[in-house]
Amino acid sequence: MAPRPARAALLVAGLLLALLAAGCGQGPSGAGPITLVFKHAKILGPADPVPGLLRRFEAEHPGVRVQSEALTWSSDEQHQFYVINLEGGSPPFDVMMLDVIWVPEFARAGWILDLTAQVPPAECDAHFASAIEPATQDGRLWALPWFMNVGLLYYRKDLLAKYGLAPPETYDELARQVRLIQAGERDPRLDGYLWQGKQYEGGMVNVLEALWANGTRVIDERGRPFPEPERAREALAALRGLIESGVSPPWVTAADEELTRRPFGDGRAIFLRGWPYALDLFELPDSRVRQRVGVAPMPRLAHGPVGAASTGGAHLAVSARTRHPALAVELVRFLTSDVAQRAMTEGAALRPSRPALYHDAQLIARDPTLPALLPLILRGHPRPITPYYLMLSTTLQPEFSAVLVGRKSPARAVQDGIAQVRHLEQALGR
Amino acid sequence: MASPRCDTSSRRSAADVTDRRLGWLLLAPALLLLGGLTVYPAIWVIWLSLQYRVPVFGIARWAGAAHYAFLTVDSRFWNAAGVTALFTVASVALESILGLAMALALRGQQRGRRVAVALLLLAWALPSVVTAKMFEWLYHPSGGLVNFLLGGRAVNWLGDPALALPSLVLADVWRTTPFVALLCYARLLTIPAELYEAAEVDGAAGVQAFARITWPLVRPILLVALLFRTLDALRAFDIMFVLTGGGPAGSTETLTVYAYRALFQTLQIGFGSAIGVVVFVLVMLVAWAYLRLINRQEAAA
Amino acid sequence: MRGGRLRDALVLAALALYAAPFFWQALTSVRPDAELLPLASLLPGRLTAVHYEVVLAKSLMPRALLNSLGVALISTALAVGLGALAGYALVRLPVPGRGPILLAMIAATAFPQIATVSPLYLLMRTLGLRDTWLALILANASFALPLVIWLLGGFIREIPRALEEAAATDGADRIATLYWVILPLVAPGAASAALLAFLFSWNEFLFAYSFTATEASRTVPVALALFPGVFEVPWGDIAAASLLASLPPVLIVVGFQRYLVRGLLAGALRE
Repeated sequence: MAPRPARAALLVAGLLLALLAAGCGQGPSGAGPITLVFKHAKILGPADPVPGLLRRFEAEHPGVRVQSEALTWSSDEQHQFYVINLEGGSPPFDVMMLDVIWVPEFARAGWILDLTAQVPPAECDAHFASAIEPATQDGRLWALPWFMNVGLLYYRKDLLAKYGLAPPETYDELARQVRLIQAGERDPRLDGYLWQGKQYEGGMVNVLEALWANGTRVIDERGRPFPEPERAREALAALRGLIESGVSPPWVTAADEELTRRPFGDGRAIFLRGWPYALDLFELPDSRVRQRVGVAPMPRLAHGPVGAASTGGAHLAVSARTRHPALAVELVRFLTSDVAQRAMTEGAALRPSRPALYHDAQLIARDPTLPALLPLILRGHPRPITPYYLMLSTTLQPEFSAVLVGRKSPARAVQDGIAQVRHLEQALGR
Repeated sequence: MASPRCDTSSRRSAADVTDRRLGWLLLAPALLLLGGLTVYPAIWVIWLSLQYRVPVFGIARWAGAAHYAFLTVDSRFWNAAGVTALFTVASVALESILGLAMALALRGQQRGRRVAVALLLLAWALPSVVTAKMFEWLYHPSGGLVNFLLGGRAVNWLGDPALALPSLVLADVWRTTPFVALLCYARLLTIPAELYEAAEVDGAAGVQAFARITWPLVRPILLVALLFRTLDALRAFDIMFVLTGGGPAGSTETLTVYAYRALFQTLQIGFGSAIGVVVFVLVMLVAWAYLRLINRQEAAA
Repeated sequence: MRGGRLRDALVLAALALYAAPFFWQALTSVRPDAELLPLASLLPGRLTAVHYEVVLAKSLMPRALLNSLGVALISTALAVGLGALAGYALVRLPVPGRGPILLAMIAATAFPQIATVSPLYLLMRTLGLRDTWLALILANASFALPLVIWLLGGFIREIPRALEEAAATDGADRIATLYWVILPLVAPGAASAALLAFLFSWNEFLFAYSFTATEASRTVPVALALFPGVFEVPWGDIAAASLLASLPPVLIVVGFQRYLVRGLLAGALRE
């Protein structure tokens, strides 16, 4: 009966070995000169300025290599990637590009370095206040702004001029203009007002802007949800009204930035709510709306101001577990410096986070729209600055989406939203 | 069970002990794996559901029944429960009818049985993510085959809250009907042809033959198939998550998708576990009810 | 019976139509991008392999296929190995508490994954097993184990005791009997169980999605669900990736149909 147990034992041993091998996850390869890993999303535009900037940094810091690693395109996936890697303990990167809304969250979770000591106040003041504020938590600075975004109302200059109209200041005016132009043009393929109503962060931004346009907010300083529920209800009803009245086509409830930018860029819409990057694409040589697009501040509703747009953009932060904190912070300061932002504005469809650059003659020569953007950015403000912003957003998105799609009344959605946020805050111990 | 024989009693009990020990030895690895990764988590999730747990922010404290209390008044939960119920009932009903019909059609098949079963099982064997992507493309407003066959009308199957759930149900029915069909088909094959011939002699054919012979014999296996399918539908996650993500506006958000979003999107491990426990209890209750029904049927037969 | 060949052909045609979604996806995978949106005609003007090129050369699918294959093979081996031993013990050996253990196992087949995913996520996180094959192997094997034990136990029970008794009188102990008599006889049943376990592991999505974070550790379903598109959704590439993801299941259905069917029926019909 000899070799049977031996064979069985071999099988078991083989299985155990396989299991052991499987237990070894991916490990990063280290060693060599000091290597900083910089994690960021691919920069779109005619020329990617980042590699050039990184080589400059390397030249100024001999013995240091900066390795650039791309993030996925989707913001949600980026966030998930960061959370899982930063939670896990030893993230394989040193400097990371973050959406501004994640900075308080990452700061509270202890994943990024406090930059207050290394960044002099003058340097902070050189950036937009609405970019520095969201990167500040508990009085400390946690990230530096890399580039800036603000919500804009794009409009067809040629169509408005044809009917003698100025950019609308209220949503009612916008609706009226859409009806007027559509009646005059008689083009069934010409949509009125395109915006992002899909259930994702972009949709949340659109709803927030409507709330601000009606002089209310989604959460107050004490964390109370919907402090002015009636105004919130009105704002939601106004957005739903855009769809019901046909001012906006029904598919905006499933649309994101790109799904709305393209039809407008093909000349099939009168108004578009979008970010500044779209402007560069509209002015490309082969664009059908070249020279026919204007930007205006976001319209208001009954109780709010004009131009209540959301600011946004990307920030750079340093991982708390980096092995080269001083160098990493230097890289961050370099990439957000005047020089680097200038290069980025020239090479890519990005807008700087430094107000001074908007008056820079050299940059204006390349992009004449910069001065017009400055007041729009100054009027905008950031989304709620709290470590729990994403939780808040993902909790409220379904409620807002239900209103936009017509599945829930605005009053009901506000009511349910309040209940959901209160439950969330209970869990967070607030 | 061997009858006792006095002279071998001591030897038999020794063999018994060795057998018992061997039994435990052979059973241990499986029990360890199951215990650690299926049973222990099932108990742990109940414990988690009684806590406020947000690992990202280091929050971990006792909540008692707070999550469950919230669920009773949470409209999103009740919406998800309704969607789950609708999805399950519609799916299972369609599958049973369609599956039985397929089995009946296949029964008389003489040539190409293997090809027939292969074509049938293809839908069942594909990963649910593949099926979801497949149907997402079929339902595409401008590039999808469905709208093309409907003469180019741009129906937004997955974006219209009224159409999304039926579209999802159809995709799931396509994927799971083969299971029901196969079970019924196997059962139908065991029904001897003489029974039908005898019935024909008695003057009963077609529908009557079905009612008197086929149905009573196939009903038990159909019930078993329904049991499996109902439990699967209640627990279904992949297809709705990938096909619609629970949208638009929660019209296809089942309890499982709601639980997942609570767990991994809002990172509320405690709250998400509570929803998971509700699904757990629901599935167990339904399983118990079904088994009682099946036992009663068997007792009656 | 009647109408013979024509009827058979019609049924086959109907079933081919039933499987049409899959064939449509296959067609989509070789249709050029320009002809995908909007859809102008059923048959493409020309065929292209570019989608497969993109998927194989530039996407994460090859790595995901490797991950899925490794995880599925090892977890199947684990489930069937442990399941055979456990099945034999439960069916043939006087294990005390046999009844309750069997009952617990049957109940375990009904556990919803969504309920166990949160504690398992925390467990994998604590053990540092995120992004490893081991996490998925253990989770998949554990989930498949009750069904495998159920199946194999049933098959073992069908083996006449006389064979075991004969081996015993020949002087073989339990283990030898298990190895030389039982296992060879239950091999076809084990094949069925293995196919089912493999299919389950290959198709598994929730655990794989929750326990993996990096792109390199994704399995096929996750890679497919998270297939990247920079601006627009690349439907042709996704179709090609879907076809690749479907290779093992299709192979099993076409090549090992008998075992698969046997496993499915045994799992459902056993009382």
